[in-house]
Amino acid sequence: MDIRLLHPSDIPHVQHANITNLPEKQVLPMPQNQECYFMKYYLYHALSWPQLSYVAVDVSRPKKTPYDYPRIVGYVLAKMEEDPPDGVQHGHITSLSVMRTHRRLGIAEKLMKQSQRAMVETYGAQYVSLHVRVSNNAALRLYRDTLGFKNENVEAKYYADGEDAYSMKLELGFIREQILDEEEADEDADEGEAVGDVGKAGERAGVNGKEKSKKRKVRVGRGLGVGELVERNESHKS
Amino acid sequence: MPQPLNSKESSLFRTVVRNYEDKQYKKGIKAADQILKKNPKHGDTLAMKALIMNSQGKTEEAFALGKVALQCDMKSHVCWHVYGLLYRAAKNFEEAIKAYKFALKLEPDSSQIQRDLALLQVQMRDYQGYLVSRRQMLTQRSHIRQNWTALAVALHLNGELSEAEGVLTTYEGTLKNPPSKTDFENSEAVMYKNSLIAEQGDTQKALDHLESAAKHNLDRLAVLELRAQYLAQLGQKEEAAKAYRTLIDRNSEYKTYYDGDEFRDAADKYLNRMLDKGVPSTFANLKHLYSNSSKKNILPVIVQQYIDSDKSAANDEPKRNGDTSKGASAAYYFLAQHYNYYLSRDLDAALENIEKAIELEPDSVDFHLTKARIWKHYGNTQKASEIMEQARTLDTRDRHINTKAAKYQLRNDETEAAIKTMGMFTRAETVGGPLADLHDMQCMWFLTEDGQSYARQGKLGLALKRFTSVYNVFDVWQEDQFDFHSFSLRKGQIRAYVDMMRWEDHLRDHPFFSRAALSAVGIYLNIHDKPLSNGTNGIGDANGDDAAERKKAAKKARKEAQKAEREAAAKKNEPNKSTKEGDGEAKKKDDDPDGVKLAATTEPMTDAMKFLAPLLQFSPKSIDAQIAGFEVYIRRKKYLLALKCLLAAAALGKEHPKVHEQIVRFKLAMEKDMESVPPKSLEIIKSEFKLLPESTSLSQFNDEYLKKHQDSVQSTLSALRVRRLLAPDTATRCEKDVAAVIKLPSITFEEAREALELLRSWQSSEAASFKSSAAAKWPKATVFSSLT
Ligand SMILES: CC(C)(COP(=O)(O)OP(=O)(O)OC[C@H]1O[C@@H](n2cnc3c(N)ncnc32)[C@H](O)[C@@H]1OP(=O)(O)O)[C@@H](O)C(=O)NCCC(=O)NCCS
Repeated sequence: MDIRLLHPSDIPHVQHANITNLPEKQVLPMPQNQECYFMKYYLYHALSWPQLSYVAVDVSRPKKTPYDYPRIVGYVLAKMEEDPPDGVQHGHITSLSVMRTHRRLGIAEKLMKQSQRAMVETYGAQYVSLHVRVSNNAALRLYRDTLGFKNENVEAKYYADGEDAYSMKLELGFIREQILDEEEADEDADEGEAVGDVGKAGERAGVNGKEKSKKRKVRVGRGLGVGELVERNESHKS
Repeated sequence: MPQPLNSKESSLFRTVVRNYEDKQYKKGIKAADQILKKNPKHGDTLAMKALIMNSQGKTEEAFALGKVALQCDMKSHVCWHVYGLLYRAAKNFEEAIKAYKFALKLEPDSSQIQRDLALLQVQMRDYQGYLVSRRQMLTQRSHIRQNWTALAVALHLNGELSEAEGVLTTYEGTLKNPPSKTDFENSEAVMYKNSLIAEQGDTQKALDHLESAAKHNLDRLAVLELRAQYLAQLGQKEEAAKAYRTLIDRNSEYKTYYDGDEFRDAADKYLNRMLDKGVPSTFANLKHLYSNSSKKNILPVIVQQYIDSDKSAANDEPKRNGDTSKGASAAYYFLAQHYNYYLSRDLDAALENIEKAIELEPDSVDFHLTKARIWKHYGNTQKASEIMEQARTLDTRDRHINTKAAKYQLRNDETEAAIKTMGMFTRAETVGGPLADLHDMQCMWFLTEDGQSYARQGKLGLALKRFTSVYNVFDVWQEDQFDFHSFSLRKGQIRAYVDMMRWEDHLRDHPFFSRAALSAVGIYLNIHDKPLSNGTNGIGDANGDDAAERKKAAKKARKEAQKAEREAAAKKNEPNKSTKEGDGEAKKKDDDPDGVKLAATTEPMTDAMKFLAPLLQFSPKSIDAQIAGFEVYIRRKKYLLALKCLLAAAALGKEHPKVHEQIVRFKLAMEKDMESVPPKSLEIIKSEFKLLPESTSLSQFNDEYLKKHQDSVQSTLSALRVRRLLAPDTATRCEKDVAAVIKLPSITFEEAREALELLRSWQSSEAASFKSSAAAKWPKATVFSSLT
């Protein structure tokens, strides 16, 4: 399985994976479809934060025509919060799913980790948040035990069918440190350059050293059009 | 020149504009009417009123009024602008562009008109026009970076790469201070420039630029990937290897980063661990190794040893919620999948292993899912559907298994059961039920499978309806890019935008499109060949049950449409809950929900063009598309075009059974029907059609083909079809030869079904006995066992 960035041309198959796997729960009657999206909403993600969404591709499939598109077996659709109420730059997981035939192989974990890293590197995210149904054990284990998310709180009746959600959050400071360590190691290895110039690295965009201000005010991406999508997105949950 | 109004009315006019922008359409109309009372011929007001009416869904009245407005005031840019907007809303982009251009001539400084024009130009891929517009916009506002980037994009799209790069460089030169490192827009502009350099083919320059300008770029992954790629392209092997190593450290799951076959040989250890843990997807994770035959053979041996050693009983991995299979059952499951895989298929062995696995774990969803797939491969759609349904009931929460159950129902032509199954996960509130929700959610696989099932059942109207829906979704997907022409510039994510543009350019080469389009063309061909009398096309074989069913469905659809109307009306009356699109935009009701009108066409070959044209344009290398093109054009007697398809198909695969048939049929058509062809075309045809050797006769040509491909069922069938066409007196012989294909060692049940269908279409007496020998050969397949 290849794990790589999502490209616009992947979207039809990502949408297919989404509508095959989600909503992750049958709710009768399903009052609202909160977890499936039309193509434009995927485009909105891919064109706003092209570094954050990843796909898992089944590379074993034989090509059937000259026009075959890669077969997507898992994806994470992620964004930066456009207008964070706390003023702290952070990422958000809009949707995550893996085809049933490919579950428990570590795909979701890898997708999440790639996305989290890019949130820090490119957008200086301080943390990443998401919502999950309280009954979704598989996802809860993944988020809490494997990835280290913490429960922020329970949002009562968050889903339209009345189910509560855990609002979860993962501080991304550890990735920032990891990146700094790597850069130090890198620069150590590079002859001629100053050794371990942490201060300089710390200035780097998105890789704000821990000694730098943690709360970086965000330039707000509102008013850019595609307004309906933004609104839609806020009423929608991962 | 806009006609003047007095001050009170001028202010009223401004109110109209504001009302329009705020989507307060009723108020807007009222204010406009007030102005018109005194100035009935005031062009701008008439135009604004037309615009508002259009937003209310009164398209025709709006156009009529828009025209009146223009007649009243040909010199008003407002009138022309509105006229363009009306066309734009009606998706007639060419006319819209013309109108905008008139408006702009009258009001060259209007940035709004200029902007509307530019957006349409880029949407329509009028890059030269777009370039002119962007130049103009830059001149007007050169202090905004976006306008520079936009001009670069326009040049880029128009193929002027170095000019595009130059524009970015010029802008960089105007910066007094280097932008901050956290400036996304700048960071992306640097990477965009780098992509422009690389696209010009100067890899060394791109590398240098990357290493100097992008050293601390925010898009770290892109920098690392590009650097590795450039180094590799430049042949700097050692450096490239180092760069790829860094990437593998970040993400070990992207094979593109590996240069050789760095596959793990620790299969044994891996399998033991996965089986102990009971991971059902283990096979899915290893099947990519099957292209290597020694690996393919080793894996089942390891698994069998695992079973034989009884290790599984003692495994100490704790059982976890969600682990569906453990130890031995996981091993049997692996073997079942192994024998079910197309590269190592032995269906009886697969079935045996899956039964053992199920015995150990009767409630496993995944085991039942695989069992259903095995039955599908046997050709037993009914049993496959039943077992998939059983799998579904084992975990009613999981949408994936729900989806599979519905898909298998469709494959077994249980269309009503399938939509019911799907309905367990669709929105209950959607007017029109699950089907409408699946349309809204652009659920392509369902629309296509549903259509294909209807086609098999002979319900051609419903089948066409679904394929048309797929077609329409692609229109929506094309339209979806529109907003991003401005959005992306403002967001500053240029590479992703260009990426999208490139993809949208060939959007319809997607298999989601071609599958549906090919099916639709196939149906139109059927309708052409067997037109059913007085518009009963939609009912297939004029079978009474179907007719009754259709009536019922039509009645139901009518009721639903009425309900939709009622609800839309109710919504309108709720003062605080106006829909986002503004008031009065009720969903248009479908006047042909079952596709009866579609199937009642008297011009099936013209209708087929709607699907065929994009197929040929975007998937010219698809042999199926070219074959379909030939079939349509030959019926339309467009011989040059038919030949063009035939030549393209032959270039892709001259020995393809269908191509062979078409070569002969084309030759026959040329002999019989050449009077209708203009002499010029005839000349071209004669000089281009060289697919037949000069000296051999058609029947010789066919015999040679048959001999050459006597081991292939499909080629044999095709040659026999041709033989019967060339020499009708050999019919009995041909039928016997068709029946004999069952003895070919390579024959599959699908091919046998094709042979049976051929015999039936000839009304051959061989059909019955062929069917019974096929039933004996494939006892598990449904097609031959059914009573029909
Ligand atoms: C949740 C989901 C994305 C997990 O995908 P996945 O690729 O199978 O997950 P991974 O293999 O990366 O799992 C990593 C870890 O998560 C936990 N986990 C995942 N699935 C689990 C399950 N069914 N039961 C228990 N734990 C599970 C395990 O700790 C696992 O580590 P391990 O295999 O070493 O024990 C997948 O089950 C899915 O698509 N479900 C339906 C859609 C959905 O619920 N999406 C989440 C919405 S918020």
